[in-house]
Amino acid sequence: MSAEIEAGTRSDRGRGLSLSFSRAPYWLIILLILFLITFYAILSSETYASALTFIAEGIQLTIAISVAAYAVALIVGLIIGLGRVSKNPIIYTLATLYVEVMRGVPLLVIIFYAQFVIMPWIDDVLAFQKALLRNTFITGVIALALGYAAYLAEVYRAGIESIERGQSEAARSLGMSHFQTMRYIVLPQAVRRVLPALGNDFIAMLKDSSLLSAIGITELTYWGKTKVAASANTFLGWNTVAFLYLILSLLLSLVVKWIERRTSSGRR
Amino acid sequence: MMQGITKRFGKLVALDNVDLEVRRGEVLMIIGPSGSGKSTLLRCINHLEVPDKGRIVIDGVELNSKSANINKVRAEVGMVFQRFELFPHLTVLENITLAQRIVRGRSQQEAERIARQLLEKVGIPEKAGSYPAQLSGGQQQRVAIARALAMQPKIMLFDEPTSALDPEMIKEVLDVMLDLAREGMTMVVVSHEMGFARAASNRIVFMDQGRIVEMGDPGVFFTNPQHERTRAFLSKILH
Ligand SMILES: Nc1ncnc2c1ncn2[C@@H]1O[C@H](COP(=O)(O)OP(=O)(O)O)[C@@H](O)[C@H]1O
Ligand SMILES: [Mg+2]
Repeated sequence: MSAEIEAGTRSDRGRGLSLSFSRAPYWLIILLILFLITFYAILSSETYASALTFIAEGIQLTIAISVAAYAVALIVGLIIGLGRVSKNPIIYTLATLYVEVMRGVPLLVIIFYAQFVIMPWIDDVLAFQKALLRNTFITGVIALALGYAAYLAEVYRAGIESIERGQSEAARSLGMSHFQTMRYIVLPQAVRRVLPALGNDFIAMLKDSSLLSAIGITELTYWGKTKVAASANTFLGWNTVAFLYLILSLLLSLVVKWIERRTSSGRR
Repeated sequence: MMQGITKRFGKLVALDNVDLEVRRGEVLMIIGPSGSGKSTLLRCINHLEVPDKGRIVIDGVELNSKSANINKVRAEVGMVFQRFELFPHLTVLENITLAQRIVRGRSQQEAERIARQLLEKVGIPEKAGSYPAQLSGGQQQRVAIARALAMQPKIMLFDEPTSALDPEMIKEVLDVMLDLAREGMTMVVVSHEMGFARAASNRIVFMDQGRIVEMGDPGVFFTNPQHERTRAFLSKILH
């Protein structure tokens, strides 16, 4: 795996040096131009300029929910990923059940399930007087985190399994417990190896957060639906929404590429 | 000491009723063809492989018994692997101090002091801050030996410690092992380095197909092997 990544970065570097005419990122240039046109059209029109405030609010919420949900998913995913490599059959079975269910159900259904089943149930049990039900932010975070924890668990699992058995044997032979071996030897190496994959899942989650508009969370897509679509020029409006997601994804994928390069040219 | 050790992998019998006693301060060499069970035998001694049958007693502690804390026992048994198995994400110094701190409970300072002392001993004090990937194979194996020694083990196990090394690096590792032997460390060494066997070992064990075929002191063993299989094997590796 690491050999592949190294080969990849080497050719990337070659490309960077001799930015040949045929391979220049024209698609990026085209995007930029289209974006500027859209943006200009919006700014030059009174009605659309007012929509910008909603869009700014939407983006903020999109980012906030994604970051919060991702943080939760990183932790829950790690626990479930550890369960997936556990020798204890009960823990393994529970973790596998979770992963298979969450990956087999569409995220939109998980979102509705969180909104209409889990949250009312928590409210009931803890007698919060529907406080949670009204707090759609928490619902959104829980739904995204539960769904993505399953994907992240599989990423962790693959990383853990990619660490050679000799590493944990060396650790055990020094007297480290199973837990210490995981904590100090296997996990640090595994996480380093899967950082790019974890990053890609964050991008995927950011895009999937658009599904939360279905339960009325006022993130970016929600404003697209309510404000932009209601106005006359849906073409421009939806373009703006799409472009904003695109910019976020592209920026993040640059970060992931940078991490990829660092980990593969690192000290292994 | 081990008694009646049997280990199977599926149908394959890797160790067939092996009895072996290692005395304190002794250097025991194990030789034998590939697949004869040498590694499995070593790995049973610190329970990286759990035998199907038999008893293993280390310094009065029986490994199979419920009361034995396997992690405690392993801390007393140092192991050096063919492929070094240094931790690539840690510096040389961290490789040697980690287990001292989290297993032995030593302070960072104390662990570092011991680590630097051992790096001195294996001849690479200047590499403390390097990462394993920046070292040659011979240097890595010496760090691996230092890492095991830092736990102050009662016995050291070596599984073909020089067979992954380029010829010019073999000597630097063997020299470290020779020093250890002279200091009276109890050692079990799987290796076909006959020079080391002659210079340092007290007894040689020849294994074939999961059994101990012959055991003897090096003088007699090389000049006058008792079994036909031993003779055939020796004639192969001595040339
Ligand atoms: N984990 C394992 N699973 C299955 N077979 C194994 C395993 N480890 C060793 N063996 C088999 O056990 C036999 C003894 O192996 P080993 O102890 O490594 O021999 P040696 O170190 O003398 O070359 C070999 O036939 C090997 O293929
Ligand atoms: Mg072997």
